[in-house]
Amino acid sequence: MNSATKEATGPVCSGEHREEQASKSANQITVDISDIQVSADPGAVIVTYALGSCIAVMVHDPVRGAGGMIHYMLPLSATSPDKAKSKPAMFADTGIPLLFEKMYELGCQKKDMVVKVAGGGALYDDKGTFNIGKRNYTVLRKMFWKNEIIIAAEDVGGAKSRTVRLHVGSGRVVVRSQGKEADL
Amino acid sequence: MIGKEEILKRIQSLHTLPASTARLSALVNDPKAGASDFEAVIRPDPALTANLLRMANSAYFGLSREVTSVRQAITLLGIKRVYEVASSVTFSRMLPATVPGYEIDATHFWLHCVGVAVLAERLAEELGRKAPDLIFTAGLLHDMGKLAIGSFLVDASEEVFGRVLDDSIDLAAAEKIVLGMDHADVGSDLAEHWNLPGPVSWAARWHHNPGEAPENVDRNLVDLVHVADGLAHSLGLGADRGELARTILPSAIERLGVNVRRLEFTASETIGQIYGMTELFSKCAGGVG
Repeated sequence: MNSATKEATGPVCSGEHREEQASKSANQITVDISDIQVSADPGAVIVTYALGSCIAVMVHDPVRGAGGMIHYMLPLSATSPDKAKSKPAMFADTGIPLLFEKMYELGCQKKDMVVKVAGGGALYDDKGTFNIGKRNYTVLRKMFWKNEIIIAAEDVGGAKSRTVRLHVGSGRVVVRSQGKEADL
Repeated sequence: MIGKEEILKRIQSLHTLPASTARLSALVNDPKAGASDFEAVIRPDPALTANLLRMANSAYFGLSREVTSVRQAITLLGIKRVYEVASSVTFSRMLPATVPGYEIDATHFWLHCVGVAVLAERLAEELGRKAPDLIFTAGLLHDMGKLAIGSFLVDASEEVFGRVLDDSIDLAAAEKIVLGMDHADVGSDLAEHWNLPGPVSWAARWHHNPGEAPENVDRNLVDLVHVADGLAHSLGLGADRGELARTILPSAIERLGVNVRRLEFTASETIGQIYGMTELFSKCAGGVG
């Protein structure tokens, strides 16, 4: 990415956002922090920016032709039951079930769903005191194991910030990090 | 490698500090200054007055009734708080559309700044400590060196970020190797050049290495800003090209006595406020966005 060449493309926005604007698809749905979005529009692209220690779970149902994404910030709702009520997608344990419920509401079935995971990064922290990303991932693994959900692909950990796109029509997931883009 | 002198020249050529901010900074450094002195600076500036009242009435500052005058704001919030609010408004107006070199736009840079200000202040409270004087402003302005160093970084960015990736060193360390100084050095020089209060210069200088701060520096303040900075990056608040390549020092965490659950609680309680306040700044006339 070279900011100098892209500065002129429009209003104030980051490198990632700028690129997005240049190649904006017909229906782009942004998932904010502590947010869930689902769609059954085959032309839609669901995107979330700057996952640090936060985790995004992408679910795609090729049979129903639907997709969904959560961007959760913290592992456990016990941290703040009040916030869990007003913002359930802030936490893995209240948010992930809600993502699946929203997919069921679209007519999706659990057996058809393909699940991918990205995020859970960490700063350089030898003692791991700070490792919210690892805690976010551990809780997710426990929940998926208990509910017999298999992770089809994942890109987690490391000192990386990630931007993730889910193409609802194809189920393609693209992760952008450290200036490079790769399919997940 | 560029010399300190060249960087300082760059600092001189940066936007001039707005006259009202300079005068308020002088007042906050002066123990004899009183409410009427602050009022005399703020009131003649209609944009500053309007934005000060807008910010002062936001939920973050927790006033039980609406303030409609500068005098009222000073009475209810106190001189230091009014300085913090007024200076944050004027600084938000000084941001360029993008911060060169770091590949981050003003809105996301400011989101990070507000994030560190709010997290540092709230963390002090969560740890049962009195928030150090001016910690909100110190947190808000901790990265201002990036504004001055950014244009040098454009030419050196491949080398700096190449070192971050290849050698797994943090961003500030890579800056120091390639440029001879890092954004922390530059930020504190800038704070001193502008005669900003001590805590602002301390946080700018020591936020990546609080353990090395000399004795005259409020160690508690620089530890809180260091941890808040790490937490803000971790939460994705204002990811620049350095991404998560930041070091969190176990010694700072130990001195504060903070653990991951406390950090998570602080994050859950403040994330909404951080986004809300960033949006409010963007509504201030001539502000970000």
